[in-house]
Amino acid sequence: MSRDRRFFAGLVGVAAMVTWLVWTGISDTMVYYLTPAELLDRAAATPELIEQGVKVSGDVVPGSYQAASDELLHRFTVSDPDDPDVQITVHFRHPLPDTFTDEAEVVMEGRYVGNGVFEATEVLTKCGSRYEALPEEMRDGDYGEGADYGDYGEDDGYGAEPSGYVGGVG
Amino acid sequence: MGFFLGIVLATLVVFWVLYPVVAGQEAPMERDDEELTEAQHRKRVALFALRDVEYDYHAGKLDEEDYLKMKREISSEALEALDAEEAEWAEREGRRAAQAEARGAEDSEAGEVGGRDSGVEDEIQALRSSLREGVICRECGQPSPRGSRFCGECGSALRATGDPIEPRTSSSGSAS
Amino acid sequence: MIPALGEFALWIALPISIWGGVLAFLGGKWGRGDLVLSAERSVHAVLLLLAVASAGIIAAFLGDRFDYWYVSNYSSRNLETYFKVSGLWAGQRGSLLFWALNLAFFSSLAVWLNRKRNRELMPYVSGILLVILAFFIVITLFITPPFERLPFTPQDGRGLNPQLQNYWMTIHPPTLYLGFTAFTVPFAFALAALISGRLDARWIQITRKWILTSWFFLTLGIVFGMRWAYEELGWGGYWFWDPVENASLLPWIVATAFLHSVMIQESRGMLKIWNMALVCLTFIMTIFATFLTRSGLIESVHSFALSLDIAYAFLGFMTVLFIVCTVLILWRLPQLRSDRQFESFISRESAFLLNNLALLGAGFAVLWGTMFPLITEGLTGSKVAVGPPFFNQVNIPIGLVLLALMGIGPVIAWRRASTRNLKKNFMIPVGAGLATGLLLVALGVRHLYAILTFAIGVFVLWVIVTEFWKGTRARARIEGENWAIAFLHLVRRNRRRWGGYIVHVGVVVMFMGFAGAAFDTEVRQSLMPGESVSVASAFGHEYTLTYEGLSTARGQNMWQWIALMRVERDGEHVGSMTTERRFYEAPPQPMTEVGIRSTFTEDLYVILSTLDEQVGMGNEPQFQRATFQVMVNPLVPWIWYGGLVIAIGTLIAMWPGGPIPGHRPGRTTGSKVVGREEGGGGTPTPDSTQDPDSGPKTPTSRPSGTPAGVG
Repeated sequence: MSRDRRFFAGLVGVAAMVTWLVWTGISDTMVYYLTPAELLDRAAATPELIEQGVKVSGDVVPGSYQAASDELLHRFTVSDPDDPDVQITVHFRHPLPDTFTDEAEVVMEGRYVGNGVFEATEVLTKCGSRYEALPEEMRDGDYGEGADYGDYGEDDGYGAEPSGYVGGVG
Repeated sequence: MGFFLGIVLATLVVFWVLYPVVAGQEAPMERDDEELTEAQHRKRVALFALRDVEYDYHAGKLDEEDYLKMKREISSEALEALDAEEAEWAEREGRRAAQAEARGAEDSEAGEVGGRDSGVEDEIQALRSSLREGVICRECGQPSPRGSRFCGECGSALRATGDPIEPRTSSSGSAS
Repeated sequence: MIPALGEFALWIALPISIWGGVLAFLGGKWGRGDLVLSAERSVHAVLLLLAVASAGIIAAFLGDRFDYWYVSNYSSRNLETYFKVSGLWAGQRGSLLFWALNLAFFSSLAVWLNRKRNRELMPYVSGILLVILAFFIVITLFITPPFERLPFTPQDGRGLNPQLQNYWMTIHPPTLYLGFTAFTVPFAFALAALISGRLDARWIQITRKWILTSWFFLTLGIVFGMRWAYEELGWGGYWFWDPVENASLLPWIVATAFLHSVMIQESRGMLKIWNMALVCLTFIMTIFATFLTRSGLIESVHSFALSLDIAYAFLGFMTVLFIVCTVLILWRLPQLRSDRQFESFISRESAFLLNNLALLGAGFAVLWGTMFPLITEGLTGSKVAVGPPFFNQVNIPIGLVLLALMGIGPVIAWRRASTRNLKKNFMIPVGAGLATGLLLVALGVRHLYAILTFAIGVFVLWVIVTEFWKGTRARARIEGENWAIAFLHLVRRNRRRWGGYIVHVGVVVMFMGFAGAAFDTEVRQSLMPGESVSVASAFGHEYTLTYEGLSTARGQNMWQWIALMRVERDGEHVGSMTTERRFYEAPPQPMTEVGIRSTFTEDLYVILSTLDEQVGMGNEPQFQRATFQVMVNPLVPWIWYGGLVIAIGTLIAMWPGGPIPGHRPGRTTGSKVVGREEGGGGTPTPDSTQDPDSGPKTPTSRPSGTPAGVG
């Protein structure tokens, strides 16, 4: 019987270890996932948010992209999906994803450094849903009479970065 | 054309699938004689365990004391499995004989069954005595009578493996 | 014509699978062989029909039938032919059909292999397989119809996502699908054993073999996926802890746990409930992976569109599976009791148990991290993100524990091990590990996890090599064979054990490759032709890359801008490499093709990240300014070598055949044994004299059915 108890203790020990790892892991690494408007609100309310890691998603403002090849810095403006007037400036120093255009929807990780500037450490484009959802719109009759095939290409939603990559993985 | 092909395909498939039900063709529903029974499985497992113990001992992972104790334990497990196998076998033979009788079957069948039966008896006896004091083949785990120089199962040489109960002396003493 | 035939075949497959599923269960219940035969034929018929359906899709791709929605969205006229063939699994709709095809293939294979064996289980096995097949066919027909037509015929298709236009695309998804779908067969056997109540040792053996097969394909599929990400996604990494990657990892983790704990059940008759639960969980995890990937519920850059229909269908299916498994296990609980108890805390069983707990712990962490954002949003409404830092922080320590267990397991004996022996056996390997760690510290390495990985890795390798060496030596001595032969025979004698050790070697090598990521170096610079950039590697090499110029080329479906780089290592010219930027026409999208130059220890990885706007205009050097990101990724090649070793080891372990002690097929060996009837009791007494006649038997008396390859 005592042998069983020892195994049981071992089991509980391992479970406790894993729980502890997961718990501390979550609390150490979890970041808020915000829209630009939420980011600015929070930064105004709690200044500690500045310098803290966050994830932000929004739409790139068309025409806002600037590349400075000497500084190797990408600069663009991202607006809030719900309120296009709320905008933040993004600085990014790594290669942009291939699917990045200045109309893309992006997900960024990084820090808010104040004054409306977001230092991104990672930028991903999010087009996957549009890629597959588009045909649904079509089915609903978006391509009515006279609409030729070219019309539904205007969305440019081909980004689907690895949407298909995953097509493989499912 | 495509429509026609589709109809042909569908007809063939449906016919092929339904045929057994219509014609009374049957898939086998019972255990095949070639398959291991539960007792045979247990025996197999015990023999594998014997082989592992043997290996662990020779690789220095087991003390001699532990080794002997475990060998005794597993041997008795194997013996239990052997008894179970014997019982299983007897039961199956009994059932088969009853079936044959009920069918009023040909004598040749019954004769053959009897012949096989006695063979199995012999085999089980031999295995049992080998397990008690024989040599375990390091190759396949099959026990052979003490003093054997080759494994009866796979033909591997058994020398130098030694009779573990009496580590060094017996094999050299009796085999020569 | 063929596409239409394919669609028709897909429609017929549904009634056939339902018919077969119903008949199989009835046949099993009533003991009716004719119903069972009809059901088994249904399985083969479904395979045929799904193959025709898949051929229909491929034919539609090859024939540029853009009136099919699926073709027009994933192909274009100028797409290369083999990408048209792989179009079958390029998108959601086709890939679900492809999934069903793979499943039908394995179902048919399982039924065929067992046409004479395990007959009491087979009715239920066929039944379960057909029900699951029917589920996937329903999804394919009603939720994601691959044969859906457009009301008009476009001139050209929208093209395949450039990231899929890579040869890994033709290899990676099929391998992964084979792995996922093959898990269905062991699950079916487990359920069949529960339903029929035949919970003897047999089902576990069949299940183990099938799980090993699936594990093989799934492992390869995951490694191929890593390779694809590394080559094609162009950020220098191979694993992102993306929900979709995690989804493929979950069944892998549970299956790995099963492959270890099943050994305890086989040899000791313990952990029966646990193993049953693991088989069920493995399958449920594959369905969960599909659910996660295809529903789009969890935000992932990889995932498909949000589709609530699919989400509900899979969620419902998972719930049903979960309930069925739980009820059946509870119902058969009395038959699943352990035969024995654990004998000692220090035993190989304990090591396996710890391995299981650690694996499931890692699995839980991955699952939790993946689902956490969804759960939090559901409960509190605030959106959070859990990224790679979380997964690394949790899984690296667990991974290190697992790594260490790979070295501890082989040295501990089954049942119980004495501490004195442990000390003796562990002294040298632990010493080797410690020495490695100290050496790394002395060399100036300060990354704790990397040091631990290498130290533990060396410890494990030492243990395994010692095992091989001891075994070979013993064999060579006993059998008088030369060392090479002895080694071969050693492995052949117990393929599972030695194959498993080889897999472990592969895992160690792979972990060392992962640890290499701690020492990545990179430089980013904008260059004009003739300018160069230098980057130092962790191994102390200095690479200098000179940008020699840009050239353009026309591919079938794209324009290529190719930058030529001259590579010098420590001042010595070692060759040149290219890195590209492509502009695809359909769909219109740019694409980075990284340049990779591999050596045994490190990869030079060059990304052409930006070209100046005017590049298209002319070939004058002043327009050729480009920005490069140059990375040196140490030990990445080891990941692929490790994957190869794992594959080899798994093949050795799963190869059919092997010694079956004490089993005489057919029992026709009546004259074989010359037994000695010993009257003595259970205690071994050495004093009974031996009759020389009774001893040796010539190998010729072997029954022909015994595996002869054993010796």
